Amino acid sequence: METESYTNGGGVAKEIGIANKQTIRGNDFVLRFLAFVLTLVAAIVLGVSKQNELVPVQLVPTLPPINVPASAKWSHMSAFVYFVIVNAIACAYAVISLVLSLANKGKAKCLSLTIIFFDLIMMALLYSSVGAAAAVGLIGYKGNTHVRWNKVCDVFGKFCGQVAAAVVISLVGSILFLLLVLFAMLNLHKNRRH
Amino acid sequence: MASEPEKVVPPVEAPVAEPEKAALPPSTTRPTDYFAVADVVLRLLVFASALVSVVVMSTSKETEMLPYPRPAKFTESPALIYFVAALSVAGFFSLITTLGSLYSLIKPGCCAKIISHFIVIDVLLLGIVASATGAAGSVTYIGLKGNTYVGWGKICTLYGKFCRYLGASIGVSLFASVMLVLLVLLSVYSLSKKIPK
Repeated sequence: METESYTNGGGVAKEIGIANKQTIRGNDFVLRFLAFVLTLVAAIVLGVSKQNELVPVQLVPTLPPINVPASAKWSHMSAFVYFVIVNAIACAYAVISLVLSLANKGKAKCLSLTIIFFDLIMMALLYSSVGAAAAVGLIGYKGNTHVRWNKVCDVFGKFCGQVAAAVVISLVGSILFLLLVLFAMLNLHKNRRH
Repeated sequence: MASEPEKVVPPVEAPVAEPEKAALPPSTTRPTDYFAVADVVLRLLVFASALVSVVVMSTSKETEMLPYPRPAKFTESPALIYFVAALSVAGFFSLITTLGSLYSLIKPGCCAKIISHFIVIDVLLLGIVASATGAAGSVTYIGLKGNTYVGWGKICTLYGKFCRYLGASIGVSLFASVMLVLLVLLSVYSLSKKIPK
């Protein structure tokens, strides 16, 4: 913002602030950095989640149950794969847009609009991945007797805990992306010509 | 004062006095505000697709003999219940905003302050609809493909009509979320046009 100062007859200096160059604010740095950190943590927490357990399986009713080694990994479930991929993309995008908006500082309007556009797309993708992972996690937690899908969280407790933590962290990250879009909109609304 | 294209200059005196009405210059007629028209059209599409999604999923009930009659309904899965609830909320709010922007199209400049708040509703609805689509989509995908690692079997081979209805409903809600993205982009673009260079 440029400021002009002039003195009138009484010696009082007035400063008029003119907002000319800084039309679209590009300083949502804190939000972008936090979103980067949160989506990175969510992707990593689910990406390294793995649990090996010995599951007792009763093959024949007369024989005692055999312990079969079974493992729970995120790559077994396509919803978790989608979750990790989308969080990784959002994390990379947060870094790129942080660098771009730092370099831009609101000067080039079409770059700011492009960043708002991609913020919106990333927000929608993140919300859908949170919904998908939460839905699958809920089925794993409670099971679904109507379609005979058994619960897995009583056996793989640590894995389910990691899924829950990753989903909550990514939810906070997607709320941050929502705030980014809303603040950009608010800034546009404030700076418009009346 | 900057002239706003959406302000109406009502030519009330001209048709009464002049007999040669056809010789009126066309600048006294209101120029079409494409943004407002596109706004109403997109909002109407969002409302229509949310309504279609809710109706299709609510009527998706199929009963198969297993040997006893076993129905498949959307109420058996919490993710699908969330889908119906979220899309109903989205349809309700998009109906309100459609009526609001339609009213603003008919009477321009009446409630610009309220209309400018509609974009916040659009962004929130996008989040809700996207998460509902993701949740229902993931559950339907497991029903379609099954999951051998956790022992969840496919159900779509048995309940074909149910899965088709679910798939159609989720596809339409995906269309609704794309329309919501376009709506927010339209508002951003029309706001950015008003920014002084």
